[in-house]
Amino acid sequence: MENVVKVIKEPQSSINLALGYALFAAAVVGTYTGALFTANGIDKIVANHYDFWACVGLALVGWVIRSVGGHKGVIVTMTVLASFIILTLNQPMLLRYLTFAALLFSMGLYGMVQSRNAVRVLLSIELMLNAVNINLIAFSRYVDPVALKGQLFVIFVLTVAAAEAAVGLAVVLAIYRARQTVDMDKFTLLKW
Amino acid sequence: MFANGDEIFKISRLTIAWLTIIFTIVWMVCWGVGIAIPMLLTQQLGDQANLANEILRAVTPVIAILVFIPINAMFMVLIERRALALWTVRKGPNRVGPDGNLQTAADAVKLLLKEDITPTGADAVMHTFAPILFFAPSIIGAVPLLAAVTNDHPLFHILNLPTGIFYVLAAGALPVVALVMAGWASNNKYSLVGGLRSAAQAISYEIPLVLSLVTVCLMAGTLDLVKITQQQAGGILNWNLLGGGALVGLNQAIGGGGAKALEAAYPMGAISYVCAGLLVCSLIISFWLYLTGACAEINRIPFDLPEAESELVSGYNTEYSGMKFAIFFLAEFTNLFVVASVTTVMFLGGGDNPIPPYILDKIPGIPQMVAAIRDSFFCQTLHIINPETLFATLWVIAKVYGLVIFAILIRATLPRFRIDQLMAFGWKRLIPLSLIVFIIVVFAREFVNIHG
Amino acid sequence: MGQDLLSPLLSSPNVETWAFYLLTTLSICLAIGVLADRVVIRSGFILIGVFGTISGIFLLLSAQFLALAQIMIYAVGITLMVVIALMLTNPRLEKEQAVVYYDESLPPLAKLFASCKRNLSLWVSVLSFVTLYSALIGENHWPLSDQAVSQDAVKVLGESLVTNYSIPFEFASVLLLAALMGAVMLAKGEPKTKDDDDSLTVVDEAKKQENNLALQR
Repeated sequence: MENVVKVIKEPQSSINLALGYALFAAAVVGTYTGALFTANGIDKIVANHYDFWACVGLALVGWVIRSVGGHKGVIVTMTVLASFIILTLNQPMLLRYLTFAALLFSMGLYGMVQSRNAVRVLLSIELMLNAVNINLIAFSRYVDPVALKGQLFVIFVLTVAAAEAAVGLAVVLAIYRARQTVDMDKFTLLKW
Repeated sequence: MFANGDEIFKISRLTIAWLTIIFTIVWMVCWGVGIAIPMLLTQQLGDQANLANEILRAVTPVIAILVFIPINAMFMVLIERRALALWTVRKGPNRVGPDGNLQTAADAVKLLLKEDITPTGADAVMHTFAPILFFAPSIIGAVPLLAAVTNDHPLFHILNLPTGIFYVLAAGALPVVALVMAGWASNNKYSLVGGLRSAAQAISYEIPLVLSLVTVCLMAGTLDLVKITQQQAGGILNWNLLGGGALVGLNQAIGGGGAKALEAAYPMGAISYVCAGLLVCSLIISFWLYLTGACAEINRIPFDLPEAESELVSGYNTEYSGMKFAIFFLAEFTNLFVVASVTTVMFLGGGDNPIPPYILDKIPGIPQMVAAIRDSFFCQTLHIINPETLFATLWVIAKVYGLVIFAILIRATLPRFRIDQLMAFGWKRLIPLSLIVFIIVVFAREFVNIHG
Repeated sequence: MGQDLLSPLLSSPNVETWAFYLLTTLSICLAIGVLADRVVIRSGFILIGVFGTISGIFLLLSAQFLALAQIMIYAVGITLMVVIALMLTNPRLEKEQAVVYYDESLPPLAKLFASCKRNLSLWVSVLSFVTLYSALIGENHWPLSDQAVSQDAVKVLGESLVTNYSIPFEFASVLLLAALMGAVMLAKGEPKTKDDDDSLTVVDEAKKQENNLALQR
């Protein structure tokens, strides 16, 4: 059994590729399934299909740059961008902001689950909180522009984020002092 | 200080010459881009030129600042070296040009021609990006001040923001990040320690700095820089330095309002007078707190620990040379200038004349002079300047460069803090003091009828 | 219906659209940089760029006050704290490499499942995005308002903070104070005195041994 299980270092690019293609596929599927729920959704997409193909082209350009030896981050960036533009181009302004916030939130979620450095986890949490802030401000701009309750809540989120960062970093420092590491996988003292 | 009359004469001659040249150039640029070319275009093209004129007017302030910053920094470096030489009894620059007046121009040329080195093992992108991030906020932060210092000149009116002072503060907070970035990207332990020190220092001293400005905004009831400036019009008693409007009633009473004005401004009698006195004391303390915090924020002596040359070689800019170092250098002096401008606008009445108008109008010759300037060729035909803006700008120049000279005097006088003294002074003295001042102002302003 | 290429970008309210796409493009690129950069300190610095672009988006949404607060609190305060914590924990010594165990003798379907399990976080985040997006698209009854944002937004915010929302405001300030004190206490570490060195050293030694054992396991 021991010689069957191999320890290999997974190339980073395959994760990035998978992320890019998954987001891209999700974008395409999401556009068409999402359009089923909206009035005239399919019509809009059919009418503007040049935009769609332009964004597909953007993704392809990223793939070409990658294949001729460009940086591996290029393709994931370009596919994410292309899917974002496809998803938002035909939406009203509010939905564009909300979609952007959703994308940022998901990216923060990915970073939070994936990272092994505790401080990078905190960075990802800050990203997620910022996505929430964008949501709140977008709603306060388009739904409640007079009383601005959304902006008020952003002030509270800012406060909580500052407190969270301070305490979180103090905890990380304390753990580092005790264990000489900030690797999330090694904080297993309470494991049975 | 007064021992060497010849040296003082030389310095004042240099100052007047440089200031005349700088502000003539800047005014010519503003007038040319913002007023003369649009007028010409309108004459030639009619309505077609509207869009181009809008764009020209929008870029005028930016061009003016970009022209102003390098020559102003050259002048400030020169005056700093001359004044330091005077106060420390040494010889200042005296080789290049008449009396060494072109020394900094020669230095600038030298810096631009030097090789640009990125140290081995350094993060090249961050190393290049740090000076830019250090320099850009000082331009961005200077922009909304333009409307306030020129007495709301129509050319700069568009730049006036409803959250003006907060904008300046946000821009002033950004350079710290650039210093940490420069320290880390240099791959040098002295640089890293310098960057970390600058971060700790800036975060600590930001609190009293912001609280002292919040005190002023509380008295003024607005964050708008132009409104804050306009509220202080009418002589030194109206300035935020002296009570932020607590003495307006006194000013009106002296100016002819008599006992009625006093009663309107101080409705509660003795309690109101005591509160007005408290406000005056608090705002003077606020002024001092702001100067201290700002000195720490822009790393001037006695707070120049991030680049303490006797401990850290040169701190965060140890590994910088050539153009990048020149940008750091430029930005430091620009920051000093911006801080002096903010102090002028927030505490010293902006372009306001310290002598109140009821005294000024009685001096023979002054009203006639204003009228003569208003009727002159420059104002009437070329629209080059209006007398309000002219006088406001002259007063602002006097106050701002006065504060700059004061900063140089501090540099010549005080030794550098030690890092633990710095922290203890910030957290144990300044922050409690600023909180106490803030609370006093919150309560005392209820008993005085501020701004009439 | 626009038949042109990228027609929504060229239609009438195009300034906001262009600015939106410029800022979001920058923001997404920088956020990917934050997640993907191998040097953690650099990703901390890139985060400043993300916050800057997000504050630009706040400006687009006519929330000037919060855009500036975003810069002052997030881009300067929090990020500086994070970067300093990174420098203190010295992450250059950490190797952030994903070591993956997998079995080559498995049948293809099981391999697929194993791959899904390896990239679980990826699929979780993609799924969260798809869910959020479907929910957004499915909802088309937003009670949109035609009014412009009130000019004196700062005044509105300040008045709400001391009237309707004064209790949350006070709670937030107490929370900040508690967090400040807690962070100071946590980061300060144990003071070492001469009196208790005997008993405490023994306990410390025991703790260290336990830690080492736990690390080896």
